[in-house]
Amino acid sequence: MAVVAGVDVGSLCTKTVILDGNGKILSYDIMRSGHYYKGAAEESIENALKSAGLKKGDISYTLGTGYGRGAVAEADAEVTEITCHARGAARLFPEVHTVIDIGGQDSKVIGIGDNGRVTNFVMNDKCAAGTGRFLEVMALALSVDIGEMGDLFFASKEKVDVSSMCTVFAESEVISLFARGHKKADIAAGIAHAIARRIMGMVGQVGLREKVVMSGGVAKNAGVVRAIEERIETSLLVPHEPQIVGAFGAAIIASERMSATIG
Amino acid sequence: MEKVLSKIAEVTSDPYGYVAGLKERKNKKIIGCFPMHVPEEIVHAAGLIPVVIWRGNEPVTWGHAHVPPYDCGITRSFVDDAVRGKLSFMDGFVFHIRQCLQAGEFPFIMERHFKPAYQKILYLPAIYPGDATRDFALKELESFKTSLEDFTGNMISDDSLKKSIEIYNKNRSLMERVYEIRRAKPEILKAKEVMQIVWSGMLMPKEDHNELLAELISGMEEKSITPQKERIKVILVGCLCQTLQFDILDLIEDLGMIVPDDDLYIGSRYFANPVNLNGNPMKALADRYLTKSPLCPTKGVWDIHWGDEAIKRMRDNDAKGIISVRVKYCPPHTCYYPDFRSKMAEEGVTEVMIEMEHEIISLEGVKTRLQSFAETIGGV
Ligand code: SF4
Repeated sequence: MAVVAGVDVGSLCTKTVILDGNGKILSYDIMRSGHYYKGAAEESIENALKSAGLKKGDISYTLGTGYGRGAVAEADAEVTEITCHARGAARLFPEVHTVIDIGGQDSKVIGIGDNGRVTNFVMNDKCAAGTGRFLEVMALALSVDIGEMGDLFFASKEKVDVSSMCTVFAESEVISLFARGHKKADIAAGIAHAIARRIMGMVGQVGLREKVVMSGGVAKNAGVVRAIEERIETSLLVPHEPQIVGAFGAAIIASERMSATIG
Repeated sequence: MEKVLSKIAEVTSDPYGYVAGLKERKNKKIIGCFPMHVPEEIVHAAGLIPVVIWRGNEPVTWGHAHVPPYDCGITRSFVDDAVRGKLSFMDGFVFHIRQCLQAGEFPFIMERHFKPAYQKILYLPAIYPGDATRDFALKELESFKTSLEDFTGNMISDDSLKKSIEIYNKNRSLMERVYEIRRAKPEILKAKEVMQIVWSGMLMPKEDHNELLAELISGMEEKSITPQKERIKVILVGCLCQTLQFDILDLIEDLGMIVPDDDLYIGSRYFANPVNLNGNPMKALADRYLTKSPLCPTKGVWDIHWGDEAIKRMRDNDAKGIISVRVKYCPPHTCYYPDFRSKMAEEGVTEVMIEMEHEIISLEGVKTRLQSFAETIGGV
């Protein structure tokens, strides 16, 4: 049975998923991309192979995706992260019709047809507003660990508006909110709501169709997830490991291509 | 065919040098016509050389002092060129200021800072049904004609205007033939080459362009092409007033798509609708402006839909999807776009929108959008 790999080289993190011939995840890896995408892809594949107890030669087909998809030296082909996130989400949740993916440097909303294929999408890649990088900068401004940001949301008691979504302006806004005496938790909740407002606009462009899956690293922030749910008045399905949905989708496509070759 | 294409590429790679040289060679005055609705035939009949104003390929510098950064690319680039003295070979300008907010700024900027020898402001109406609109358009064109007569000191006769219209109509029919062959054999020209062919016609005297086109067409007719069946046909829509970055056109093809047809201004829109030569030529020119199709969002037409026209073009060409190119900060296109997009959704047509900016363009982001689009219509 053919073992395949999907490698998603994102601007912030690189993810690899290895599937066995039955489409079962054998292993996965998540690591920082750094500044050398080619090296990150190689290392991530190696890590995933190691956890699965496999070696390079065991992989029959590798598919690259993500912002740095062109840097996956091992790849037999490359497919965009939009197609891969859609495919990964549809395999995990067959009833999905909308995917919200917020990654390290961009965000996307993807419409999915009944056949599990992309129908339309919007993408914000103009700036880091509302992305993983944005949250990192905000966590620094709040002097909290990025992992704490989600919990802080639920401790909020007072509504605070963070109006700016520009990473630079929002940082100074956070500082001025502190100066006005607002609490960390309230500001963290304000940040989550600001992200949710922006995502709502993108969902409006694609058209909201349930079920809605959220993927990407920011889906690990329960505060942002809740804020988006409140805005779009729909509950979100969040996979156990939302960061690997793209790599998982890439591995699924790799698997399909292998079966097509084998006939 | 190669000889013609390289001549065309030469003209479009340095429009400034070409037009300045043209002025010297022909010893005639050059009138810059702002895209998209100035009837160049009247300028031609006045014994002047009409040239359609273009977007330069350099970042805006001194021009920032005269135009806001939220104006579209051609607006900022044109003013910047003027400030930097790059348009000194132009003897005058014609602007249709009702076209959009940006176009309304030019006459004042130009008048205040550059004082061209000739300048005309056209105010062509939005298209409402009825004679009032037609009379209004005709009066505007009459006053345009009079202003050119005053400038040159020579009357423009109906006969000379008809002769000019004939030359322009000939150009339209030759361009139509180029597109007809392209639709049948889309591999014959690269999308970039097609845009260069149309653009060169906006810079060259039409008589010279007609000669080039005739030679090009015979080459295209003779050339046999092996169809590349695996390529996915797509239609390009939009991109008002200015050239689309050639890198984007190359990217479309690099990603396995092919463009058999378009509705771009520097594309099929420019040569659509020949002028009717029977009767009063001025009325005929007004009627051409008042033609609703191909729909232009600057004309205020609401009883036909741009989306329907685009979908028809897509289906007629057996294409699988539509790539909309929108110039950033173009209000007419931006305002129409949500309705366009809804029509695509209603009809189940796969469409992607690429926003094009004058200076900054993240080709990686454009690539991801176009590649995802190609994957969607290609069934990945
Ligand atoms: S591109 Fe749009 S905004 Fe710019 S001049 Fe043309 S119509 Fe006006």
